[in-house]
Amino acid sequence: MKKPREIMDRREFLLTGGLVGAGTAVAAGAIVKDRLPSEPQDPTGQATVRNLNVLKNIKPSAGEDDHVRMQRELVKAMAKPMEKRHWIMVIDIRKCVGCYACTIGCVAENKLPPGVVYRPVTTQEIGEYPNIQIRFTPRPCMQCDNPSCVPVCPVKATWKRPDGIVVIDYDRCIGCRYCLNACPYGARTSDFGRSYSSDAAHGAPLGKDRTLLAPESPWQREPSNEYAKGWRRKDEGSPVGNARKCHFCLHRLEVGQLPMCVTTCIGRATYFGDEKDPDSLVVELVTKNNVQTLLPHWENKPQCFYIV
Amino acid sequence: MANYSTVSNPKSESGTSTAPWTKILWILWIVLLVAGGFGVAQRLMHGHLPTGYGSYVPWGLWIGLYFLGIGISGGAFIIGAVGYVLGAPGFNKLSELRMAIVLSIAAILPSFLGVALDLGHTERLLSILIFPKFTSMMAFNAWMYNVFIVVALLAWLLSFRARSVWLKPLLVIGAFLSILFPSQSGVFFEAVRANPFWHSPILSVLFLASAIALGAAGLILVRRMLFPDRSVEKDDQESALLTLRVIAVVGIVVYLAFEFAEFSIAFWNPGPHSPNVLFLLVGDYWPVFWILHILLGALIPLILLCGPSKAGWSLSAFLVLVGFAAARMSILVPGQVAGQIPGLQQAFQDVRLTYTYHPTSTEYLVGCFMVALGMAIFYVGIRLSKTTAAGVEQKA
Repeated sequence: MKKPREIMDRREFLLTGGLVGAGTAVAAGAIVKDRLPSEPQDPTGQATVRNLNVLKNIKPSAGEDDHVRMQRELVKAMAKPMEKRHWIMVIDIRKCVGCYACTIGCVAENKLPPGVVYRPVTTQEIGEYPNIQIRFTPRPCMQCDNPSCVPVCPVKATWKRPDGIVVIDYDRCIGCRYCLNACPYGARTSDFGRSYSSDAAHGAPLGKDRTLLAPESPWQREPSNEYAKGWRRKDEGSPVGNARKCHFCLHRLEVGQLPMCVTTCIGRATYFGDEKDPDSLVVELVTKNNVQTLLPHWENKPQCFYIV
Repeated sequence: MANYSTVSNPKSESGTSTAPWTKILWILWIVLLVAGGFGVAQRLMHGHLPTGYGSYVPWGLWIGLYFLGIGISGGAFIIGAVGYVLGAPGFNKLSELRMAIVLSIAAILPSFLGVALDLGHTERLLSILIFPKFTSMMAFNAWMYNVFIVVALLAWLLSFRARSVWLKPLLVIGAFLSILFPSQSGVFFEAVRANPFWHSPILSVLFLASAIALGAAGLILVRRMLFPDRSVEKDDQESALLTLRVIAVVGIVVYLAFEFAEFSIAFWNPGPHSPNVLFLLVGDYWPVFWILHILLGALIPLILLCGPSKAGWSLSAFLVLVGFAAARMSILVPGQVAGQIPGLQQAFQDVRLTYTYHPTSTEYLVGCFMVALGMAIFYVGIRLSKTTAAGVEQKA
């Protein structure tokens, strides 16, 4: 009877088992390690307390303007360590008139180039004539408590801060755009290095290649102050090539100012504040039963709430 | 064991000089290199401006080609390694093993070029290896690819030693990785949990089945085009081609069966991913799906692979490569074109903020460069295999 041919001898078999086993163990260890809760990437505690002088000379009064109240609450929240505050945004879409002041204010504040937008306002027609209505829905970053954009980042360039804001480290982001695809709200856009003046130099933009040989105006080199740093658009350096998103204007929060979209809202439709302050205006609003979130079925736990 | 006693025959690793296709391949390579070089220069000079992707469709042709290369690489290695370890006729010689390894490396390295050029910050490419976060499938895959390349190169080097106890264990772990990384390429998309078109475990099966078919097609092509006159080992060549044809057919049929299962859900019980499926099947993307993927890339190759014509096998192998490139795009693009926030595209209008995607000439040209680079790596790898084997034999 013919002896069956040996595929491997015992030594080869043991080596194979060892290699596969060791490789599997190392891979599993690496995955488990990154899944475990880790220390926050941001400073916490006293180092993050801000004693701001904003509005100190104006005494609180009953029935004061919502913006003054929110700014006062902002200063109060900044006096706490970062981990003791949790920023949320509330948008009353019944009051939104679709003026796009928030969109433009955001573009100006953050020096956003063409194709990068943090707060578009969508327009929906509801019903049929004569029973018709237009609904405007501003869509900032939802600063989700369970963000789908964060775990897909391969280089730890994006994370959720203890105060609830999801941030991007422009110096670490490699521009893979995985996070753009992971966000169901389309809240992240990529900076492809375009500029407004080069488009303008050619007249109306007719195609994606139109900007190639056009000159740029110096005003476009003005730095953006995002993340409390001065980002100059120079050559291919960050933020060119990065994923970009709304960060609740955290550079403004640091100096006691409300996010630009809140300040510019002419209809007083956008509210902002600390969810951990039980006396805050946003907590008053968000506990009502006509509050909704966008795409709740994905369980991202968005922290931008809509009053409908 | 038979395999160990078979020292590589240097004559069997030549063939490039005698193959009738050599001149055509050289001309094709020069054309691809020059045209592709122009595309790469455009990308390097003008960044991402001459590309067609945007913020709502962030990934385009280069990512599709990247996953194609990954499939060819994984498939070629699995077939070559498993065939060698099992001692299958046509695969049990070290020269045949080296051919599969070289094809595998030649497919995976240009894929990295596509990804590197796709990055917003190409200069930070190595950050994925230095600061990886393994909650991301991208980081996990990047590490797997690199471990695989090291394993494949070690196996290639050990193949020149007559009796190395490490060769088969390395081939097994390489085959293990080759099964893992094509299927995990599917997980790369599945892990996007808020995308109803991608978030389906069937993608792993599709990517693995296509990798097997692609590896078989790649090996048919190189065997038929570069080594057609190996009369001394004609029987081996015949049996290898028969095996590869069967593998390719099975791979394609499995792919089509699972793809039908996935898409048919949209018809029996439409769900959240139905708009994506409709875009693919009857919307703007129907020519890519029906003509390139199904007709040219699957049905015609199936007919040709089952037929007796050897030229037909070569043609079918080429069509399989093209067809699965279209299949990759049929997963990639439809998964990005259906936004979930109504009216978002109209809310802030810009050419990069649309739910449409058409590759630009620069993207196609860079794709040509990737192919040229793969051909060059394969050629150099085969030549190196030949000269090293000859040197080892002389020394012996």
